[in-house]
Amino acid sequence: MSELRRKTNPERRAEWWTTLPSAGWLLIFFAIPTLLIVVMSFKPAGPYGGFGEGWSLKAWVDMGNPSYPTVLWRTIRLSLAATLICIALGLPVGFLLGRSDAKTRSILLLLVVVPFWTNFLIRVYAWKVLLHPSGFFRETLVSFGVIGENTLLLYNEWAVLLVMVYAYVPFAILPIYASAEKFDFALLDAARDLGASSIRAFWLVFVPGVSRGVMAAVVMVLIPALGSYIIPELVGGPTGEMIGNKIAQRVFIDRNWPHAAALATVLMIVTLLPVLFAFAQEKRESIAVGKKGGDASS
Amino acid sequence: MSSLRARHPIAVFATAVALLFLYFPILVLVLNSFNASRYGASWEGWSMRWYQLLFSNHSRDIWQSLRLSLVIGVVASVVSMVFGTIAAWALNRYRTRLQQAHFGLIYLPIVAPDILMGISLAIFFVTLNVERNLWAITVAHITFCISYVALAVLARLQDFDGLVVDAARDLGANRWQTIVRVVVPLLAPGILAGGLLAFTLSIDDFVITFFVKGVGFDTLPLKIYSMTKHTKEMPVINALSTLLLTFTFASVWWIQRLTRTRSAT
Amino acid sequence: MSEFLVFDGVTKRFGDFVAVREASFAIEKGEIFALLGPSGCGKTTLLRMLAGFIEPDEGRILIEGEDITKLPPERRPVNTVFQSYALFPHLTIRDNIGFGLKMAKRPKSEIDSEVDRMLDLVDLTEHGDKKPDRISGGQKQRVAIARALVNKPRVLLLDEPLAALDLKLRQRLLVELDDIHDEVGITFLYVTHDQTEAMAISDRIAVMQRGTLEQIGTPAEIYEAPVNSFVAAFIGDTNFLRGKVVTATDEEYSQAEIEGVGEIRLFNDRPLKPGEEIALSLRPEKIRIESHAPPTDPGLNAIEGIVEDVIYLGSMTRYWVRVGDQRIAAERQHSRYLLDEKLPSWKDRVWLSWRADDGCVLSDFAVEDTELLSIPPDEEG
Ligand SMILES: Nc1ncnc2c1ncn2[C@@H]1O[C@H](COP(=O)(O)OP(=O)(O)OP(=O)(O)O)[C@@H](O)[C@H]1O
Ligand SMILES: [Mg+2]
Repeated sequence: MSELRRKTNPERRAEWWTTLPSAGWLLIFFAIPTLLIVVMSFKPAGPYGGFGEGWSLKAWVDMGNPSYPTVLWRTIRLSLAATLICIALGLPVGFLLGRSDAKTRSILLLLVVVPFWTNFLIRVYAWKVLLHPSGFFRETLVSFGVIGENTLLLYNEWAVLLVMVYAYVPFAILPIYASAEKFDFALLDAARDLGASSIRAFWLVFVPGVSRGVMAAVVMVLIPALGSYIIPELVGGPTGEMIGNKIAQRVFIDRNWPHAAALATVLMIVTLLPVLFAFAQEKRESIAVGKKGGDASS
Repeated sequence: MSSLRARHPIAVFATAVALLFLYFPILVLVLNSFNASRYGASWEGWSMRWYQLLFSNHSRDIWQSLRLSLVIGVVASVVSMVFGTIAAWALNRYRTRLQQAHFGLIYLPIVAPDILMGISLAIFFVTLNVERNLWAITVAHITFCISYVALAVLARLQDFDGLVVDAARDLGANRWQTIVRVVVPLLAPGILAGGLLAFTLSIDDFVITFFVKGVGFDTLPLKIYSMTKHTKEMPVINALSTLLLTFTFASVWWIQRLTRTRSAT
Repeated sequence: MSEFLVFDGVTKRFGDFVAVREASFAIEKGEIFALLGPSGCGKTTLLRMLAGFIEPDEGRILIEGEDITKLPPERRPVNTVFQSYALFPHLTIRDNIGFGLKMAKRPKSEIDSEVDRMLDLVDLTEHGDKKPDRISGGQKQRVAIARALVNKPRVLLLDEPLAALDLKLRQRLLVELDDIHDEVGITFLYVTHDQTEAMAISDRIAVMQRGTLEQIGTPAEIYEAPVNSFVAAFIGDTNFLRGKVVTATDEEYSQAEIEGVGEIRLFNDRPLKPGEEIALSLRPEKIRIESHAPPTDPGLNAIEGIVEDVIYLGSMTRYWVRVGDQRIAAERQHSRYLLDEKLPSWKDRVWLSWRADDGCVLSDFAVEDTELLSIPPDEEG
């Protein structure tokens, strides 16, 4: 017994000491504040911003404001659309990255990654300049008659969607590529050999083969998209507002913090759904894999 | 490449479109920074005047905000390099329930939208009545940087041959010598890559800082944001962005070279 | 016998699983001692307990009478050549080899000259300044050996040092390893799952199965006189004949009835009783195969059968011969002095004969051990 304790204890202690710094920090500055959002949404607003004394349901009652369902629905709709387009672009790019030789691959990868390393604000801002009513891009389109004299490219839902796709497409490409790298491309040849056209082979063999990467891509794109703030703020205008803008307005304009907390809680619930879905999927898969491994070894 | 084009015309076309899409606005922005026209509606000839303006007294607070960003970035990345590396070690070494929870804590900040992290920390600091100063911003940055460093080091640890640690002990190194002479040098590329990522994310962050900071304390992205509100500042932002882009390209290229030679030797 | 390195009742469990069960044996100074057994039988676990990476649950390990069971690895007078080399990828070959001396805080000049000597011993002088990923697998192997040997350990532990190399290189390095052993005179504990490797290099072999030491002896002892069906089948191919003792003729010989074959003569090194069940291991190369009956000889067993399969193996031919309901393997070398005799072929009626003392009575027989044989005896019905 004492023999046992002597052996397990140092190991256990080492684990605690190496876990504590990061876990402690994230518990205090990430987990607790996140839960605090929910708690503080039940507070009354303070007279000069901040939170008041006691408890109140006012913030949640105010969620009934008819503009919110519209904004929430727009947030979900735009995010889903952006995710779909990003995946649609990510699949062929990931495929090509997986197929190309080492040199081409490293160049392509660099090209995909560099925007990811550049300042996000600047990249969004670049679109604002590009789509600007007096910018050359719009002028050119107008002079070629592609769009009417009065069509505005900026400050609407389409601009938000466009820039979201632009900003998040690397997040779709990279996980799909990571899966494609492990994909056995001989399977495609096999499918062709068995009579599938190249498009069908792509759909029936490659896409299921990289489904893990696609799942990761969905999470990596959908969640930040749902929480978008800068993009609608810079290129959305009033008709392109998303839930993030509403949160910021409550904090910076009305200084109604409980109201902002209630909105943030709603956003949290909406974003939690895809994460839980991904986790469940992951778990199901790892259980299936575990079973298979068990069978093989016995 | 040419054989790829022949065999997968659709994929090559889609990739070309995606890359064009990724770089088109950036190219326009770079070109506009050299455009004599203020609003960039038409090309009015080459000019360096926006760069001159950027380096003149007019733009003094841009450079001040850059300095603030750099200080926060360095502190946040160094702290998160230490915490993240230790975290990765624990995650890799132990297979316990504690580590499952630990991994959840590391993973969630990466997927959580910035705005939620920003508002939650803002509410946290307001509730505790903490002054939302430079330190509050740095704490917020460390919080989102730890996870990235941890995952970068964890990736490196996954192809780390654990036997090398045994080999060092076998050859007479004690625990501490093993860490200093074998473990840290071998993990260095992962730690550095994680640190660089953390630094970039810190320098890049707008949303979280925006919510967490009190009055004053404008980091570079906040300064840029306030400038975007004034159309007449557009060309200065273009010039600044071009410089930042050049810097990013150079450092990404350098990192690639660094990691390539490291893994080659 | 000088008891240089002693395992005394060493047991290691992982949860409920017993990886090593009450291992007790002694290794002599200067010998090459091989631990041989199939994958997962606990060889590495045994070695790691000696190196100090895991602590036994029970038992002691002694070197020259000193109990080292509780010493941390860095304080043990042993060094390891790891299964996958475990060279430090960030250090040059020189620094890899010099690592142990540096940890021992030896002066730089001494480290340099020792490393030079080692580089020369393993023939890598030109490669000293390269990093490990710039040299071939065989060279890595030699660096790993040099890195361990330079510390002059009292025992060198080698964990399947050649497993990652191809056959030709393996054979060459095996010879080199033997030369190095002759040169440095250090005790080697050599772990392998390859029986030819163990036979070729070691003075003595310990055969392990599922955590248990089954037999310890010289390669010849283990091959010629396996104690049980596992050792017999794991070391080379064999025929198992099972039956009952009929009469115990004298001290050394008995008669036995083999199922479906008939009565044969047995050599027994332990007394047998009539009626006792026995299992016999009979190596294929001990059986002579001819087309006519051999001359009668009391020391010889002879049985008649029909050739069912003929497998040409280059240096020899293997025959599968049906005798009653048994299939017996016999081998014949391709030496040409019997050229006048026609070689048996498929469906021929042949005679098998062997000397009674070439069959080895096993103390233990397990049916599942027959699966270790290269071709199980009753492949086809
Ligand atoms: N740390 C551990 N925890 C649980 N089980 C272990 C551990 N280490 C080894 N084992 C188990 O103990 C048994 C013996 O393992 P060991 O590594 O000693 O085998 P081995 O004889 O060296 O095999 P190989 O030839 O494949 O290297 C195996 O079944 C293995 O699964
Ligand atoms: Mg082993």
